[in-house]
Amino acid sequence: MRVLTVRLAFAALVAGGVVTCALNAQQAPAPELTVQDLRDGLKNPTRWLTYSGNYANHRHSPLTQITPENVHRLTAQWQFQTDTLGKFEAAPLVFDGVIYVTGPLDTGWAIDARSGRQIWRYRRDLPAGLIACCGLVNRGFGILGDRLFKTTLDAHVVAISRKTGALEWDTAMAPYRNGYSGTTAPLVVKDKVLVGVAGAEYGVRGFIDAYDVQSGKQVWRFYTTAGPDDPGHGTWRGTDTKAWEHGGGSIWVPGAYDPDLNLVYWGTGNAGPDYNGAEREGDNLYTASIVALDADTGKLRWHYQFTPHDIWDWDSTQMPVLADLTLNGEPRKVVLFANRNGFFYVLDRATGKLIRGKPFIETTWAKEIRPDGRPMLLPNIVPSEEGTKVCPDQTGGTNWMPPSFDSTRGLFFVTARESCGMFFSWKDDYNPGDGFRGGAVQRLGDRPYSALRAIDVATGERRWEYRYASQSWAGVLSTDSGLVFAGGSGNLMAFDARSGKNLWHFQTGSALYAGAITYMIDGRQHVLMPSGTTLTAFALADFRD
Amino acid sequence: MRRLTCTLLVAATVAIAHASPQDRPTRGEQRPTRNPLEGNAQAISNGGAMFRTRCAGCHGPDARGYVGPDLTGVWLAGNTDDHLFDVVRRGIPGTEMTPADPLRVNDRDIWQVLAYLRTLSAVTSAPPTGDAANGERVFRANCTRCHVVNGRGGQLGPDLSRIGSGRPRAGLLSKLRGTSGTIRPGYESVTLVTKEGERIRGVRKNEDEFSIQIMDTRERLQGFLKANLNELTMDKQSLMPAYGPERLNDRDLDDLLRYLSGLRGSEAARR
Repeated sequence: MRVLTVRLAFAALVAGGVVTCALNAQQAPAPELTVQDLRDGLKNPTRWLTYSGNYANHRHSPLTQITPENVHRLTAQWQFQTDTLGKFEAAPLVFDGVIYVTGPLDTGWAIDARSGRQIWRYRRDLPAGLIACCGLVNRGFGILGDRLFKTTLDAHVVAISRKTGALEWDTAMAPYRNGYSGTTAPLVVKDKVLVGVAGAEYGVRGFIDAYDVQSGKQVWRFYTTAGPDDPGHGTWRGTDTKAWEHGGGSIWVPGAYDPDLNLVYWGTGNAGPDYNGAEREGDNLYTASIVALDADTGKLRWHYQFTPHDIWDWDSTQMPVLADLTLNGEPRKVVLFANRNGFFYVLDRATGKLIRGKPFIETTWAKEIRPDGRPMLLPNIVPSEEGTKVCPDQTGGTNWMPPSFDSTRGLFFVTARESCGMFFSWKDDYNPGDGFRGGAVQRLGDRPYSALRAIDVATGERRWEYRYASQSWAGVLSTDSGLVFAGGSGNLMAFDARSGKNLWHFQTGSALYAGAITYMIDGRQHVLMPSGTTLTAFALADFRD
Repeated sequence: MRRLTCTLLVAATVAIAHASPQDRPTRGEQRPTRNPLEGNAQAISNGGAMFRTRCAGCHGPDARGYVGPDLTGVWLAGNTDDHLFDVVRRGIPGTEMTPADPLRVNDRDIWQVLAYLRTLSAVTSAPPTGDAANGERVFRANCTRCHVVNGRGGQLGPDLSRIGSGRPRAGLLSKLRGTSGTIRPGYESVTLVTKEGERIRGVRKNEDEFSIQIMDTRERLQGFLKANLNELTMDKQSLMPAYGPERLNDRDLDDLLRYLSGLRGSEAARR
């Protein structure tokens, strides 16, 4: 009997091997996902490999199948529901016909991009006592080779198998019980995974970390509050001599990468305590700034601070958008940055020098940005015990929702928010893991609104706007065919990039806290929108080649 | 079998060790269902300080809501001390309202914060005047068409069954006399004119860029596509008429206020 079993097993093994060989002979090899693929961004239109589509954060696709003329025929193809609480704030990634997306409460999925059917599901067992001020969310995977990378709510960074969702390595970044958490999508650069931590509302000391993609070992760390040995430490003055140790500067959306300069660019979070700067006099570098770091070493090359001595909770955690422009007849390599403080900045991305700063919403805190790069402050803007009205409010002129940049048309599309707040301030003592805001903001009676705005990057002037019915948190996507996808009140909407005319909409049934992406599959362009806990894929109803 | 038992015991021990303290069985005395610190001046002061540090960031410095909801009307909405304690202790799954870790926040802290919040929503105890029985008659004659009290009345305006526990007399007075200026979301007055020329008044229940949902003055829930409307006007004035002295004399007003101030919901609802 035992001999028979062994023989059968051997026969099965041989037969299986033959079948496998035969199958392999018929099948194309699985495509690999390389560092060069990440650098190529959206050159391959079947893919979406980084948070904003390419390292420059353009969120602008070269696809042209869906046009202003035919977008009215866009119809839902499938929906995927997470069966979780919470909401999507993630940018889905697409590679080789599979969507990889993270969800709330540290979940993630691989989904068939043709049908919306789940392939695998990832879920992290989270510890009790999580501290996360602003949503138990995640903003997406990073991807390279056969691995996906993500940050976690308990302030770890993990690698999981792209094929199975199984955990491959798991590295702690910081103690979650002290208010550290991870929500940013990673930025994968060469052989490193770049991430950071959220938690400025709990007095964390923010940082940007690089981890080895293979081992998960930390390669470098850049602290976003300048310590005693760092240049800029003198910008932390005042009665709290340890203010820099709990000074905020969190990192909760990904940065950009310029392979030619080998620099990564990252926007940093607000200073802490949020609304009381009395004990942290000075500019408080490098909070509310953009930092340019050497991608290999994490060394600071330059910085530009958007809001020196931030006391309004204006994180600069928006997308740095890299662009090559001709300004005043000169070719310039720039960073475009629509900041939460209400100004739209153009910076030289090799030096960090200000080229232009102009408001893109109504602001009452600064009259203008001076040629030396510092804001010219207006009076009566400091949060107080009695309350001080300042515009924008602490949710800002824009926020984490990613913008898009159409380099052909020279237009930057951003979800802009018009709102003012009454800023209160009081003394707060730092206690690890406790809230550390030093004040709060009160809603004002006037009704705030938001709008999709197109900014001409050559001049900084507004070209057009579309006003939403309510405050929108939606990101933006644009395409070469002249469309802009954005939305509000649960509506995914398509606009004419030249005029801002609304051409199409679909009520998804839940508020939008992310941006759409687009990809080709089987010759059809799809637009994929996360809303609530649902992904909806759209394509033209009756498209034929 | 013994090995299995040992394994289960070890697993259970590990599970308990990893369980959060709030998941562990409570020992000793039962937690009170009503706030033992309500009205305690020191507790209110401490609770106010804790509210600023731990709650105001989301709920606003005046607890009237910002990123998080308005907390000044939670008792008015029928919540009990016991339930609110649980919300703070356990959090609301899937939201930014995370559980209050017992290692950081003890029961007394929570009661103190609730004692403070209660002061923001409590009705000031001005000496009651007026005749409640006549006030009820005035109410039945003028208000029941639009307002429910204890299951009787119309639906166009807010349910007033617990209005006395959440709205001070001065607030009720300004609403009645038409000097309030604020309209609760979901009851903003709107006028529509359809393509067919029909003029419809009602209160706005929801709206987006392309549609609006209302309850019209006949209590009919209706949705409209904006593309099918000739006019859409958000009225500044509430649908509720202003009851000036010519419509409601001071004595009847006083009686009505006495009646409304006494509306605290049924016992079951309060529990």
